[in-house]
Amino acid sequence: MCQFCMTHGYGKVWYKNAMNYARQMYKLKKHKSSHDHGRDPEGAAALIIAEAVEARGLKPEEFPRLRHMANKVAQEMVAGQVVTLEDAMTMVELASPIALMGCICRKITRGRLEDNEDSYTCMGLGIGMFKWDRWPERYKGGVHFVTVEEAKQWLVKWHNKGMVASLMTHGTPYIGGLCMCDYPDCLAIRYRLDYGINQLFKGEFVAKLDYDKCCGCGTCVERCQFGAIKFEVTIEKTNIDQFRCFGCGVCMTTCPTGAISMVDRKTLPGLREVW
Amino acid sequence: MAFNWEDPRPIPKMTVDNQKCNVPLTCKKCLELCPQAVFALITLKYVKYVETNINEPYAYAVRPMHRDKCTGCMECVNACPRDAITVQFGEGEVK
Ligand code: SF4
Ligand code: SF4
Ligand code: SF4
Ligand code: SF4
Repeated sequence: MCQFCMTHGYGKVWYKNAMNYARQMYKLKKHKSSHDHGRDPEGAAALIIAEAVEARGLKPEEFPRLRHMANKVAQEMVAGQVVTLEDAMTMVELASPIALMGCICRKITRGRLEDNEDSYTCMGLGIGMFKWDRWPERYKGGVHFVTVEEAKQWLVKWHNKGMVASLMTHGTPYIGGLCMCDYPDCLAIRYRLDYGINQLFKGEFVAKLDYDKCCGCGTCVERCQFGAIKFEVTIEKTNIDQFRCFGCGVCMTTCPTGAISMVDRKTLPGLREVW
Repeated sequence: MAFNWEDPRPIPKMTVDNQKCNVPLTCKKCLELCPQAVFALITLKYVKYVETNINEPYAYAVRPMHRDKCTGCMECVNACPRDAITVQFGEGEVK
């Protein structure tokens, strides 16, 4: 079981437990080791993580210590986990209200602004959406509220384009966001893959290839944002490294022969503790 | 791709002159074209309940956040219209 299910699941997968979207959970306590930075607690946590990341290039000898601190703050304040499309659909049924917004990571990494429909790749969930003016650098005079049905269509659209759905907490375990992510724009994916800062956890599922069904078309290979899929040229089959797989299911959707399925991580003894 | 921060590699000295580049969101060339996504856009002006104006000088800054990923391809240095970026490996010449 993942650490969040253990502490916040109460017998369920934690993000399927309605309690983790409840108004009462929206407290945003300051992390005790966080400096204030005059900002909201998530913002302060993000700065601590960024400080560690920058130290990798500026003062490498400090990196291990800062990385350790970043890990702790990330998990307590702004943790993420990859979810399948199906589970993301369940999440938007549990959370209310739902609002679309631009991606803060893509603004930081690529300078993308909220200037067209395609920049709205993130979704804010729950009560925090009524207080969005707390984030002045992103505030646009309001957020774009959507219905559950619209949210589902939006999820399908981005999933089909090849983006990974991942949830975000705003003070763990309060789940306040559902983002559509890719590498290297998504800071959470990048921090994990390139810096070993585990803000983003692997999903409850993992991709499994049916060797006989795979026709070797190679369509799935380019879909993986985590580099888990390779094409074995001489065998003409795909290979999925289940240790690298984060369980987004984006490869499965695209396979024309239905050779990829998502299996519960807990059914694989070698993977059930790997998050 | 794999996580290898202990793997020693040359890391450049990098600077972005925020005086020369004081309204980065009107350009953002380096942010968009760096193959290693080295740069980050930092918000400097932060006033609660007031939307930060992207055209206001010194409200945002570009920072070489991921300099440990830089390959030294010099795409950013060559593309910057304001000559605001320097990348220097070792004691070599500053470009
Ligand atoms: S192998 Fe498939 S399910 Fe796993 S991370 Fe890659 S695209 Fe997602
Ligand atoms: S898309 Fe399906 S059939 Fe094609 S290579 Fe991938 S697993 Fe095999
Ligand atoms: S030199 Fe190349 S890799 Fe380095 S920051 Fe500039 S564009 Fe990116
Ligand atoms: S390319 Fe130069 S002027 Fe343009 S945003 Fe980058 S540093 Fe600023």
